[in-house]
Amino acid sequence: MSLTVRQRSVILPAISIGSVTGSLLLWQLACAQGWISPLVLPSPLDIVTTTIDLIEDGYRASPLWLHIGVSLGRALTAFIAAILIGVPLGLVMGLSPALNAALNPFVQFLRPIPKIALVPLAVVWLGIGEASKFFLIFVSTFLSVVVGAVSAAHDVNRDLVRAAQTLGVSRRQLLFHVILPDALPQIFTTVRLSIGIGWTALIAAEMIAADSGIGWMVLNASGYLRTDIVMLGILLLGGIGFILDALVVKAQKILVPWAGRA
Amino acid sequence: MVKISIRQIVLSASFAAAALFSALPASGEEAPLVRVSYAVGPRLDSLARLDGSFEKATNAKVTWVTIQSSADILNLFAANELDIARLGSSAVAAGIANKLPIEVAGIEAVISTNERLVARKPIDSVKGLEGKTVAYPAGSTAHYALEIALDLNGVDRSKVKQVSLPPAEIVAAWTRGDIDAAYVWGPFFQKLESDNGQTLLTTKDLQKDGVLLFNNFGVRKAFAEKHPEIVAAYLKTYQEKIDEYKKDPEAVAQFLSKELKLPIETARATLGGLDYPTLKEQLDVAFIGQGSRVKDGRAAQSLKNSAEFLAGLGEIKKSAIPDSYAPYINTRFLEEAVKE
Repeated sequence: MSLTVRQRSVILPAISIGSVTGSLLLWQLACAQGWISPLVLPSPLDIVTTTIDLIEDGYRASPLWLHIGVSLGRALTAFIAAILIGVPLGLVMGLSPALNAALNPFVQFLRPIPKIALVPLAVVWLGIGEASKFFLIFVSTFLSVVVGAVSAAHDVNRDLVRAAQTLGVSRRQLLFHVILPDALPQIFTTVRLSIGIGWTALIAAEMIAADSGIGWMVLNASGYLRTDIVMLGILLLGGIGFILDALVVKAQKILVPWAGRA
Repeated sequence: MVKISIRQIVLSASFAAAALFSALPASGEEAPLVRVSYAVGPRLDSLARLDGSFEKATNAKVTWVTIQSSADILNLFAANELDIARLGSSAVAAGIANKLPIEVAGIEAVISTNERLVARKPIDSVKGLEGKTVAYPAGSTAHYALEIALDLNGVDRSKVKQVSLPPAEIVAAWTRGDIDAAYVWGPFFQKLESDNGQTLLTTKDLQKDGVLLFNNFGVRKAFAEKHPEIVAAYLKTYQEKIDEYKKDPEAVAQFLSKELKLPIETARATLGGLDYPTLKEQLDVAFIGQGSRVKDGRAAQSLKNSAEFLAGLGEIKKSAIPDSYAPYINTRFLEEAVKE
């Protein structure tokens, strides 16, 4: 059954809204009826109350927006650094087989390591300040950016490159007018995925001697069985991750309008 | 130690699944199963675990669950995965305020010199911590003691940078020079002391100001109702271990140091840094009390103080603190254990 454009724009969002609302109602009902202990899963209304409390009074001496800001600050600086270094490095690796052969074993070895396993090393190497937190988020994001950029460079249409070379373009022109435009859509996809991965490293980063941040809030609240705050933190992590992703998509539409139109 | 936090995540994630499974009815009447937590450390409850005397004292099947912190214990209790645990007053106070169905069955030990505030030389007073960085394990009795010590010594708290770190990372941060002081328990404080540190005060020093900190035996309510005899047997076994230790402290220290692969000095200092009220003594209001007097006992009062401390920090809701912790202290197991 195919839907008309109009049906798509009305019915599909309605289904999404309905499924979310239905789940919330069922959740609230399950808690109100005592089917689930609030220790295990607090009700949506409890979480709303907790949210209001935290907005008014903050959590552990810091306002809620500060926790959000601190986490965003940590994550965004690491993202930006990872993209600024990772994209050029990946492209160069993709275009230079020798460099790729030299660096690829390290990238492939480090990439699958769960970044939580690096926490003790980060403390010993970089201490308990912001450096170790930056390091953990950076490493997670950076490695996946590099791998994506290498593959984007590999996938550049060889015919285009050859055609340009036949026309006698300089290396610089080749990079900026042929390779980059062709690779950018894929690089944006890579950045999207990498930011998702980097955002999950936030929890690992905020395990280290933090006293603010959403990841820390979740860990700390769990130690006192404040499941309501844990849930709120998880909702915030998910929501902010969603918004970051939407922003990258938006940036892609503005910066690479030719994406998807080969 | 990083493991803590990883465990916390895994534990939190397994909440829902565990709760679902525990809702299933138990089948058949076999030897009852009892799950007891333990932390690696030279303590007398480790003695009962290592020499198998608790198993011998009951017909129960004992599962020893390893934990890293009080936070693990609360999560395991919530997930219905634990029946008996040793945990600090702060954890008990927080758990009960959050409606965790547990109760206090007895006192493991009163913290004396086993928890200390150690500072890097030449800092030689609590007041001297102004402008310095002090670490503590979050939510622990040591954290509570640190806050009280700062207050009692008139320290301007805004001038002290406090960081929360698990004990093993306190040692790492100290080695790197990231922190200037820490309030922590053995065997960790010994490492700071041997690396240019000196003790500013111990938890025993707070006792003269009326602050008594202790570790409890907490039990899951549903389990304790079903198997009060097992809880009583656990306490009784523990008392035997206290007697064994009091008779020959050196032999116990040697045994634990060998079994746990810890330096003998660490075992000696840790064991000797705690006071062990006997089960009989615990039934006095100086500790828990008995019957209607539990509400006047120091244990109930101390739990309430810990809860108010945590509410002041914002860790638990003030409105969630019970009027008295006496209803959450059950002396029937102690009474049963001291019989005959």
